[in-house]
Amino acid sequence: MANFSIVGQRLPMVDGPDKVTGRGLYTDDLALPGMLVGKILHSPHAHACIRRIDTSRAEALPGVKAVVTGRDFPNRYGILPIGHDETAFAVDKVRYIGDNVAGVAAVSEEGARQALELIEVDYERLPAYFDPEETMKAESNWIHDEKPHNIEKEYHHQFGNVEQGLAEADLVVSERFACSEVTHAALEPHSTLAHYDPATDRLTVWSSTQVPYYLHLTLANVLGMPKEKIRVIKPLIGGGFGGKSEVIPVEVEAAVLSRQAALPVKITYTREEVFYAHRGRPIQIIELTIGAKRDGRLTGVKARIVQDGGAYCGYGPVTLLYSGALLGAMYDIQNVQFDGYRVLTNKPACGAMRGHGTVNTRFAFESLLDRVACELGIDPAEIRLRNQLQPPCITVNQLRVTSYGYPECIRQVVEKSGWGEKRGKLPYGKGVGIAGSHYVSGAANSIIRSEMPHSTVNLRVEDDATVTLLTGASEIGQGSDTIQLQLVAEELGVRPDRIKLVAADTERTPIDLGSYSSRVTFMAGNACLAAARNLRKQLFEAVARVWGVSADQLEARDDRVCAQNGSGKVMSFEQAVAAARQQFGTLEATGSYAPPAEARGGKFKGAGVGPSPAYSYSAQVAEVSVDTETGQVSVERITVAHDCGRAINPMTVEGQVEGSVWMGLGQAVQEEMIWNQGRLMNPSLLEYKSASTLESPEIVPILVESVDPEGPLGAKEAGEGSLAAAIPAVANAIYDAVGVRITSTPISAEKILKALRERQKPQARGNGGRR
Amino acid sequence: MSLPPFMLLRPRRLDEAVVRLADYGPEAMIVAGGTDVVPNLRAGLFSPRALVDIKGIGELGGIRFDPRSGLELGALTTLTAIAESSVVQEHYRVLAEAAGTVASPVLRNMGTLGGNLCLETRCLWYNQSTVWRKACGFCLKKDGTVCHVAPGGERCWAVWSGDTAAALMTLDAEIEIASPRGRRRMPLTEFYKNDGMDRIRLGRDEILSGVRVPARLAGYRGSYQKLRIRSAIDYPLAGVAVAMQLENGICRDVRLGLTAVNPAPLLVREVGELLRGQRFSPEAVEAAAHAVIRTGKPLKTSVSTPEYRRDMLRVFARRALTRLWSSNGGH
Ligand SMILES: Cc1cc2nc3c(=O)[nH]c(=O)nc-3n(C[C@H](O)[C@H](O)[C@H](O)COP(=O)(O)OP(=O)(O)OC[C@H]3O[C@@H](n4cnc5c(N)ncnc54)[C@H](O)[C@@H]3O)c2cc1C
Ligand code: SF4
Repeated sequence: MANFSIVGQRLPMVDGPDKVTGRGLYTDDLALPGMLVGKILHSPHAHACIRRIDTSRAEALPGVKAVVTGRDFPNRYGILPIGHDETAFAVDKVRYIGDNVAGVAAVSEEGARQALELIEVDYERLPAYFDPEETMKAESNWIHDEKPHNIEKEYHHQFGNVEQGLAEADLVVSERFACSEVTHAALEPHSTLAHYDPATDRLTVWSSTQVPYYLHLTLANVLGMPKEKIRVIKPLIGGGFGGKSEVIPVEVEAAVLSRQAALPVKITYTREEVFYAHRGRPIQIIELTIGAKRDGRLTGVKARIVQDGGAYCGYGPVTLLYSGALLGAMYDIQNVQFDGYRVLTNKPACGAMRGHGTVNTRFAFESLLDRVACELGIDPAEIRLRNQLQPPCITVNQLRVTSYGYPECIRQVVEKSGWGEKRGKLPYGKGVGIAGSHYVSGAANSIIRSEMPHSTVNLRVEDDATVTLLTGASEIGQGSDTIQLQLVAEELGVRPDRIKLVAADTERTPIDLGSYSSRVTFMAGNACLAAARNLRKQLFEAVARVWGVSADQLEARDDRVCAQNGSGKVMSFEQAVAAARQQFGTLEATGSYAPPAEARGGKFKGAGVGPSPAYSYSAQVAEVSVDTETGQVSVERITVAHDCGRAINPMTVEGQVEGSVWMGLGQAVQEEMIWNQGRLMNPSLLEYKSASTLESPEIVPILVESVDPEGPLGAKEAGEGSLAAAIPAVANAIYDAVGVRITSTPISAEKILKALRERQKPQARGNGGRR
Repeated sequence: MSLPPFMLLRPRRLDEAVVRLADYGPEAMIVAGGTDVVPNLRAGLFSPRALVDIKGIGELGGIRFDPRSGLELGALTTLTAIAESSVVQEHYRVLAEAAGTVASPVLRNMGTLGGNLCLETRCLWYNQSTVWRKACGFCLKKDGTVCHVAPGGERCWAVWSGDTAAALMTLDAEIEIASPRGRRRMPLTEFYKNDGMDRIRLGRDEILSGVRVPARLAGYRGSYQKLRIRSAIDYPLAGVAVAMQLENGICRDVRLGLTAVNPAPLLVREVGELLRGQRFSPEAVEAAAHAVIRTGKPLKTSVSTPEYRRDMLRVFARRALTRLWSSNGGH
């Protein structure tokens, strides 16, 4: 075990005090002199042409300073280079109930609201598509003309030979799984304050974003302004979970309204608007087949996935590719086939949500694997161990695996949950289930193809011997600021409070791609280490000169520099800084990180998504009880082990793991967006059922440290990988408890009750189930 | 969504409050804890000119119990106070249980009994923002001409979604109503109209001032069973309240109330007729449960299906009756 002084400490999050005392400023807390209130007119129709928009009455209303429609800013944007299909406001067509039709900026909220009512829109309704399998059959009135049959993208991957693999199997099982749509439900609704200053022709934008860098690029493109005229600042963020990881309409809309009004404009979404902006986890229909030998070794897996993407591209193809890329890659399976379709429907766009793309397929895979184990009479924990990878290795779909704590995760949860004593042995109505999941530690390939480093960090030592850490990485509540600070403090051997962090301001901080795909600890963390090492080198050089020793005999720790040559020489960090200043003048260093070429995956179409410099692993045992009269499930305990490589801060890792599990449980048993002809029936936190504290079980987190060779001091991702396993662990536990398998999410009380009734006779219970 | 503009009136006395209500007529609206009124105002469901805040009226508070005259609850008594009152817990168990299931601890601290008994009815097509409702052409209950739940009909089926009313009905509760003309009393069962659009028999200038529960029912065993997706926050999707008097295992008296399935809370009187004078038997319970699902008529007003809610009425009726009847202590 390495001898760290700050890494490995349970340091409280540096942004915590401001948040819990209410002092912290989120975007909606900000105000500028003369600031206007922006409001958006949303489409009442799921699919319609806009024949005419008349804004004259709205413009004439006193207090209204700007009215903007699609034609005013027609430049297209989208997070993926292949999917620029959005505009600030709809240009000639609306594509979902809630689509953006026009925006107004007025001196008061009431004025803005009245102005919206005065905008006259003449729509011509078009046939609309709501069902993902039906929409693929559409022959006309496609949602985007350039996407025939409403198919945004399709991918067909074949690794090894699946047909042969299945032919060699002793057991082949297939099942159709269906997952409902879920959303992030971050506490903070999206908010943007934009200030276009005509005197300087500059735009400054404060926004609730996970990706300031991409927002910067998009604003330049939509507004037709040079990048250097735009500054994007990320204030405190009240949770993102992926819902702020692409450019959201409000961000562009506040900017264009401010540009038009030449005054600051703020728009904060209502909760209902957050549901329209959405970008959450899509409906997926997954037809899955697994083949296995009698000893449990998997011979092949085949999946056909139809993904209901909503009306715009967003991250959609990436979501789909993750579903395929991570389908079989946590196990040693030589034959994998994936056929995926990302289709368009007249509903809000889906996108990235914690566990991006991997969650629904994991639910399907781990549920079906449980069935395989039961039918073969193998302990479900054991079957997972029998199919473990042998790292370092490259999976059939060319993902490089360097560290692999999964087997250890399984052993730990089996031991700590009492798996052996419980499985199949609890009274009817109670059960345990096991499942695993994994996730990338950052995408090895950036969204915009480029050779630029993915993260860069600058360090500057100030006069008073404080260290300014300039990073583009976006703290969104996941702990990014704290982790970077700990890494720099460790390498420089200084007290954490010596470091002042300046983050996510495109005018002051170097480029970082943003907070998505669990990349920050790994990539910005590595950049921090590189920068700190460069800085330390300068310090040591200067101190070595003063002492007349060689620099490699020096160590920095506990705010001091000491000589390790037995001389007992010690110098405070301040003195070392003073010495370095004598020699170098200013004291600055930079560090950056780009994933190595070997980690960037294969060359086939779609190979860019899935590769990561390292993968996290999670195993979970869920313990549930089922009320067999009402069908209600209560999850009583989750024992979860997460391989995070190294816990730079065990407290924040545990927080992330618990949060992931909790979010997974929401999708497992109760959360769901409910649609009626493209109309969202539950766009509120009352009717969208995120778990309350009373449904939140005891979560027992166990950290497994596999020490990745490339991770910063061995660290890997911690924020997403434990979400997916929660769902199949619960599903498998329900099977253990009452002998029914529910193949769709959420696993509602009603579904369980129905399944229990269908299986009336006790003899009809599946193999491996009890009673 | 911001609140619409309104005038806030804060009378200190009941007689003053009813005069204010009379002054503004249909343009006035009472607010007590505001936990129902405020979200509804934000959703644009009402636009009163005057909001009459009755929280400052001292005479509307308090829980009083007298073994001879029974229980008196002021309209402003909070749900927390009722749920935690030892008198209510001991003598009128079903009420304590029902009050304790309302919403969440924070909302129970604000929410009052009066507000709970006068709650607006709820429907998935109604409890939405103005923009949302406008996009689907509104509905009968507010600004529209059709019912999306039962198209073709003239009636609104918005559901009574309060928890305490059914419990109080099983306790033969009476309410007291104040108006500029004085005070009157009414059995709680007569207060509700079973009409989603026009839910209660309360004049524009009237205030529900208090609730009385007879001494006769003190000590009845009680159970309240509530269907909801989350164990906190959620309104009931179905609810069954039972109060029962047992003597040597024989049911001397029993009342069963339903909520959250019809536009009004309802007593299922047949249950009393079926069970009075009987000893516990699963068959008797089943017969009673059957009567319950003949009365409860859930429709598609919520995110749960009507079939499931109806099923749960049966389960809950069975559970509550079995629990109270077949055990010795009740709880
Ligand atoms: C998230 C959420 C969840 C909820 N869940 C539940 C639940 O599970 N069960 C439940 O029963 N309720 C629930 N409620 C509704 C509400 O919190 C309670 O019913 C509460 O008791 C209402 O009381 P109040 O004093 O806040 O009413 P207010 O909001 O002040 O008033 C409610 C209605 O009653 C009228 N009114 C109030 N007092 C009087 C009076 N003395 N005389 C005549 N009219 C009066 C008002 O004009 C208004 O129409 C929930 C509310 C929210 C926001
Ligand atoms: S029941 Fe019908 S009329 Fe009543 S609120 Fe619901 S949709 Fe409107």
